[in-house]
Amino acid sequence: MEDKEILEKFANPDSRNLAFNQLVRKYQQKIYWHIRKMVIDHDDADDLTQEVFIKVWKNLENFRQDAQLYTWLYRIATNECLTFLSSKRKKFFLPINDVAAELTEKIDSSPNIDGDEIQLKLQKALLRLPDKQRLVFNMKYYDELKYEEMSEILGTSVGALKASYHHAVKKIEEFIKRD
Amino acid sequence: MKNDFKLSDLPKRNIYEVPDKYFDRLPAQIMERTAGAGYSPAPWYAAAWKPLRLALAPLMLVLVLGVLYLVNLNNKEEQQIANLASIHDKEIVDYLSTYAVLESADFADLSTVSEKEMTSEFLNVSPKAAEEELEYYQLDTIEY
Repeated sequence: MEDKEILEKFANPDSRNLAFNQLVRKYQQKIYWHIRKMVIDHDDADDLTQEVFIKVWKNLENFRQDAQLYTWLYRIATNECLTFLSSKRKKFFLPINDVAAELTEKIDSSPNIDGDEIQLKLQKALLRLPDKQRLVFNMKYYDELKYEEMSEILGTSVGALKASYHHAVKKIEEFIKRD
Repeated sequence: MKNDFKLSDLPKRNIYEVPDKYFDRLPAQIMERTAGAGYSPAPWYAAAWKPLRLALAPLMLVLVLGVLYLVNLNNKEEQQIANLASIHDKEIVDYLSTYAVLESADFADLSTVSEKEMTSEFLNVSPKAAEEELEYYQLDTIEY
């Protein structure tokens, strides 16, 4: 079902549930994986994905259709991730590196992670990056979004995103070479 | 190998996994939660916002042009007063005597002015001086 059709059906109270179900089925994986790469843990990603869709349910009627639906969803998911990571630090008075250490430990111990040594190293290297730079890297490298789309989601200029991605790649390569 | 590591050489792979049939169950879990969540109906102004936004740009343009016009008009009046002040009285009199058109209404106005209201300076003109004044303006050359 096209986004336009989903939105039209959502606007009608009789078909609202059906339309929303279609929306969840269409975007759940993209949103889940976007969140999962940021928070690492499946249970956290599951909670946040559900929260994102509840927020979408509550606000979809106010969604202005001059933006694409999936960039709007990405933006909500991105905000949820950043808020989650930030509150984690505040809650436990953890500095950035300690959160990174906690997430690194999850990479080693989580049952839902399966990768060879170099792939695990890549994930650990990613955790050394600041949250927003990690977001930029994930969106470009894994989700293969265009810089223009990323710019719309993150509210950052295309130039800044290109520079951020370039620096992220350099840092990751340096980390893996050194380690 | 590590010293030559390039990210572009590494195959892209998602190492994270989800429990079995997770994505089959997730929509039902979310729909269950939406049942009690309610939704925010669009406020009354949301429907009007889109056409309003489209009209806003030309409206702003008209507003800016209007303000510029008024500012310009004000400056023009001030400029006119300043220009007028710099003209010598004699030039004004010359101009008026050449181009100004007197109407009978003007004379009617004059007759309503009593002598009491006229200043002594105005009245203290000798007939000779008045005659010279008339000669000076050469009334016969003035076109009506």
